[in-house]
Amino acid sequence: MKTTQPSPWPARLDLAQSISGLFLALFMWVHMFFVSSIILGKDAFWIVARTFEGYFILGYAIPALVSMLVALVSSIIIIHAILALRKFPASAAQYGAFWSHMRSMRHDDTTLWLVQVITGFAMFFLASVHLYIMLSRPDLIDPYGSADRVWTGNMWPLYLTLLFVVEVHGVVGLYRLALKWGWFTYGSPKQARERLKSVKWGLTALFVILGLLALGAYIKIGMEHAREAGKLYTPSWLQEKP
Amino acid sequence: MNRTLTFNIFRHRPGDPNSKPHMARYKVEESYGMTLYMALNVIAEEQAPDLAFDFVCRAGICGSCSMIINGRPGLACRTLTKHLPDQITLMPLPTFELIADLSVNTGKWMRAMSERLETWVHTQSDPEVNRMESTMEPELAEQIYELDRCVECGCCVAACGTARMREDFVGAVGINKIARFRLDPRDQRSDADFYTVIGDDDGIFGCMTLLGCQDVCPKELPLQTQLAFIRRKMATGGGR
Amino acid sequence: MKLIYTDVLVIGGGLAGLRTAVGAKRRGLETLVLSLVPPKRSHSVAAQGGMQASLGNCIKGAGDNEDVHFTDTVKGSDWGCDQIVARMFAHMAPKAVRELATWGVPWSRVNRGNREVVINGKQEVLTEKDIAHGLIAARDFGGTKKWRTCYTSDGTGHTMLYTVSDRAIAESIPVHERKEAIALIHDGSRCHGAVIRDLITGELIAYLARATVVATGGYGRIYGVSTNAIINEGMGLAIALETGVARLANLEAVQFHPTAIVPAGILVTEGCRGDGGLLRDVDGYRFMPDYEPDKKELASRDVVSRRMVEHMRKGKGVPGRFGEHMWLDITILGRAHIEKNLREVKEICESFLGIDPAKDFIPVRPTQHYSMGGISTDYRGENPTLRGLFSCGESACWDMHGFNRLGGNSVAETVVAGMLVGEYVADFCYAEGGQLEISTALAEDFLKREQSKLQAMLNSKGTESSVVLRKQMEQVLTDKVGLFRNGKDLEAAVTELKSLLERSYHIGVKCQHLGANPELVLAYRIPRMLKIALGVALGALQRTESRGAHSREDYPQRNDQEWLKRTLFVWPEGATEPSIEYASLDIQKMELPPGFRGYGTDNTIHNAETDSRKAVVDSIRQAGGDRHAIQEQLMPFRHLLPECYRDHNERLPEAQP
Ligand SMILES: Cc1cc2nc3c(=O)[nH]c(=O)nc-3n(C[C@H](O)[C@H](O)[C@H](O)COP(=O)(O)OP(=O)(O)OC[C@H]3O[C@@H](n4cnc5c(N)ncnc54)[C@H](O)[C@@H]3O)c2cc1C
Ligand code: HEM
Ligand code: HEM
Ligand code: SF4
Ligand code: F3S
Ligand code: FES
Repeated sequence: MKTTQPSPWPARLDLAQSISGLFLALFMWVHMFFVSSIILGKDAFWIVARTFEGYFILGYAIPALVSMLVALVSSIIIIHAILALRKFPASAAQYGAFWSHMRSMRHDDTTLWLVQVITGFAMFFLASVHLYIMLSRPDLIDPYGSADRVWTGNMWPLYLTLLFVVEVHGVVGLYRLALKWGWFTYGSPKQARERLKSVKWGLTALFVILGLLALGAYIKIGMEHAREAGKLYTPSWLQEKP
Repeated sequence: MNRTLTFNIFRHRPGDPNSKPHMARYKVEESYGMTLYMALNVIAEEQAPDLAFDFVCRAGICGSCSMIINGRPGLACRTLTKHLPDQITLMPLPTFELIADLSVNTGKWMRAMSERLETWVHTQSDPEVNRMESTMEPELAEQIYELDRCVECGCCVAACGTARMREDFVGAVGINKIARFRLDPRDQRSDADFYTVIGDDDGIFGCMTLLGCQDVCPKELPLQTQLAFIRRKMATGGGR
Repeated sequence: MKLIYTDVLVIGGGLAGLRTAVGAKRRGLETLVLSLVPPKRSHSVAAQGGMQASLGNCIKGAGDNEDVHFTDTVKGSDWGCDQIVARMFAHMAPKAVRELATWGVPWSRVNRGNREVVINGKQEVLTEKDIAHGLIAARDFGGTKKWRTCYTSDGTGHTMLYTVSDRAIAESIPVHERKEAIALIHDGSRCHGAVIRDLITGELIAYLARATVVATGGYGRIYGVSTNAIINEGMGLAIALETGVARLANLEAVQFHPTAIVPAGILVTEGCRGDGGLLRDVDGYRFMPDYEPDKKELASRDVVSRRMVEHMRKGKGVPGRFGEHMWLDITILGRAHIEKNLREVKEICESFLGIDPAKDFIPVRPTQHYSMGGISTDYRGENPTLRGLFSCGESACWDMHGFNRLGGNSVAETVVAGMLVGEYVADFCYAEGGQLEISTALAEDFLKREQSKLQAMLNSKGTESSVVLRKQMEQVLTDKVGLFRNGKDLEAAVTELKSLLERSYHIGVKCQHLGANPELVLAYRIPRMLKIALGVALGALQRTESRGAHSREDYPQRNDQEWLKRTLFVWPEGATEPSIEYASLDIQKMELPPGFRGYGTDNTIHNAETDSRKAVVDSIRQAGGDRHAIQEQLMPFRHLLPECYRDHNERLPEAQP
């Protein structure tokens, strides 16, 4: 037996990658639910947005609270991305080997991994933009503020892409996480995988549809509000009756 | 019945300076119950006497004859041509050292893996051959056998994208061996001991759960389950 | 010139070779193993059924011991074996199983309480003892009085070979893979190693050693259709024969297994019948009880095989695309049993026949399976005429199988012989005269000789095709030196094989390449295979009796008067066929004097000495006493064993309910 004390780091890093991925994936679900509150109406979204700014506890809003949350999520993304980077093909030769392997194998789970790499890589850029905006202007998170950004600010193409990218990446990640650690894998390996796969497709579809509906709502509001772009929303119960 | 099969076979002899890798084409009349073993022998007997390939048991039990059959690794001796289209492409297993044509040095790889992971029962004492054997629960014996069925064919390694990118990765075969010995009460190694051989990115933490291994293993070993199991054990118990 | 020095050179990485290497290495000798293929691919891996050892743990094995195992083995051999060796073997087998158990073989274990089994076509319930719970289990096998065959599901050989191979790795024993021994280096009386051809580069290397152990397995492939792996071409035997000094023994003793699938010749284990499977004819009728009312499907292999052919000759065979066959029916065992204990069988049926053995009958036919003959050795595994040359496993004629080996006795032989020969080899190396004593000039002579032979083969303008010659050889053996033999056919076989051998010296090789070149390999192996084939045919022709697997239609009786003999083959330099000598087995030393084997009718021509020996044996037995003491008086053997292996084997108390 080897006598040198092995490094505990590989285990820790592997756990860190999974935990960060898990956190992000679950965060995105929550995020999607909050963001889609716009479907329920501007008021719903306003309440959600203000909640995060501490409005209902403190009685006034501190947008910086959101900035802090964004900073936290951003750092986790950075950690996650750095950890993931270790798994990226490190050279053209490695990439080529994987690519030709994937093509000849025609094997779902192998292909899905490349999808994850590509979507992850894409998020590097797409998510940065979004996060930077959220970090710098948390005060503009608002039924009108957001809608104006989406429509008048021309952010919707980015969101549309990011929506697909993040949902595919996150749900595939969760699916892989389950198999990687052996969660929900009762029954034969084959059955377990088939079951998880259908859950995976179901979740992707659910969140993409939800996201599209929300994005639609933002766009609709944004178009209607285009002329007054820049003005924030006042909740209906505070609006003066016309 | 009686199709004419077209074989596209990778030909190259690295030891020969005049040899260049290329695909060669052979036509074979399909016969009843034909396996790739039979077909390759027909080709060797009639068309390419110097075609190199490995068969030993020709019965699917020794693990010698793995190759890439129409893109996927499998045991050639028990692949019936009737399950294949009439165009059949055969390539040597990647990630292993090429000997010639379809013959690769899986043995060398496996020996190195065995030495690295110390794939044997570690006991303090020598066997007491005159005494009664120690007892073992029948179910446990069966579970160990279940994992011991690996034939070291290398299909799981060839099917693994990680192994394709990183040549030091031990593959599902190696991780399954650790699972087998960990299960065996006769092996006195602790998780910390196992961690020393498998607790790194060339071992269990290198696996990216691509699961090609699970889908090609000709012995249908529960690799998916065992990989997850060992990962849990190594991530929580081993790294201290 | 490349020379490699070692203390012990083991040619062959199967169970026998590896276990020998472990033994020698543990005695402090530098040991090196050579193999054509990675050792774990050796044919030992294919043994499915099990390994015999008289542990007596399961209820149907209760009362088993070395004596019973010994008796079964001698009867199985049709009294053709060396009884001292059979004794040593029966004594060692339990130790071997237990050693393997400590090293990691996951032997199937006894489960206390009731379980359902199929015996003689009927469901029965067996109750296993509490005290046996968790001990090594055993199944029934042909030709045995007790359930004695230890097993791991139906992957026994696999788990054994992997365990022993991993043990060799643990002991840091180097295995040089893809190396073929093509000549033994010797000086006429002492063996000094071998000339090896690297099958990847084509390079020739001389390996020089104090002791050389040939453990290259059987020669079944000379028959073409065989249950053997395709590397079992008898090359180890051939290079021993080509020394012109070492002798081979009993080549004519070739076993045919009753149940190989048609047409691939892949074996389905005897365990199928051991577990309750039945043989059926074209009408679905179970015919074995008509022939062998006592042991039925579980008669000795040679007997079952012959009965099948007899029955087919009566027109009861099942006609098929590839000739006639019989049915093996394991449907009665039930799906659960098949999927657990006969899984390899199921896989083979699915992959090669496209049938489900839990539903369909399996088409089977007797097929060449085992080579009882081999390199002649004494009980220490050493060749009596070429010092320093040892052999064990299927390549040896250690002679515990005589003319028919029992199922499960072969993998047992490999490890037992390995345990013993490893010790004897070490003794030899450490004894006087055991040093390496060879001039490099001699080694270089051998290297040059082999090099020029190969070069000549490449340059040859010969027009003979090795593929054609091989097919003809296979045909001759299958048609004329098969399960049933007769003088006329055998004579024709000898003539034809001689002419094939002559032609084989003119094989043309198209691919002019010394490296990995399968064409060249075949070209140099064919003449060697033909030499072995000729030995088989000639031995069979001259042995005018029927004994065990050797069955002459023109001499149906076992003839102890004239043929209680080992056949010895030597191939003098320049000869066109081997010369044959015979060595008598000494009845006066036998613990079990020749008797009736218990199949069919007894038509043995008895030896005059048999009765007098029987009288002696009977009187010793009547005097009574402890079974070990009686045995010691009848045929002492313990003093021959290495000291570490002389003790009795422990068992469960026999009287337990
Ligand atoms: C299908 C099948 C099933 C069987 N089932 C059973 C069973 O259930 N129970 C039982 O007791 N027996 C069984 N047997 C028999 C038993 O498996 C063999 O007799 C036994 O395993 C032989 O072991 P071995 O070590 O002597 O040779 P092998 O395992 O055949 O090993 C031979 C070794 O020699 C090497 N070699 C050969 N020639 C050369 C050369 N020229 N140079 C260098 N290396 C060389 C090979 O590479 C190989 O490593 C079965 C046999 C067959 C065919
Ligand atoms: C910029 C950012 C990102 C990059 C470059 C990236 C990259 C990757 C890569 C390459 C993997 C596969 C790792 C492996 O196979 O071992 C992965 C896994 C994962 N990712 Fe991301 N990712 C990013 C952002 C995200 C985000 C925003 C989420 C949340 C939705 C997420 C969720 C996951 C999950 C759950 C896993 C599985 C974790 C594991 O296998 O241990 N990732 N990521
Ligand atoms: C704490 C961090 C985050 C905050 C506070 C936040 C907030 C918001 C808000 C307010 C919107 C509405 C549109 C807008 O105002 O511009 C939005 C939309 C969106 N966000 Fe985030 N976000 C965060 C992190 C992320 C991350 C990490 C991702 C993905 C990598 C992401 C992906 C998206 C997408 C795809 C949309 C469009 C959703 C739709 O379809 O409507 N967000 N986010
Ligand atoms: S795990 Fe399966 S695929 Fe991998 S080497 Fe073993 S038998 Fe082959
Ligand atoms: S294919 Fe490879 S990445 Fe892991 S799951 Fe199997 S070893
Ligand atoms: S030749 Fe043995 S598995 Fe194919």
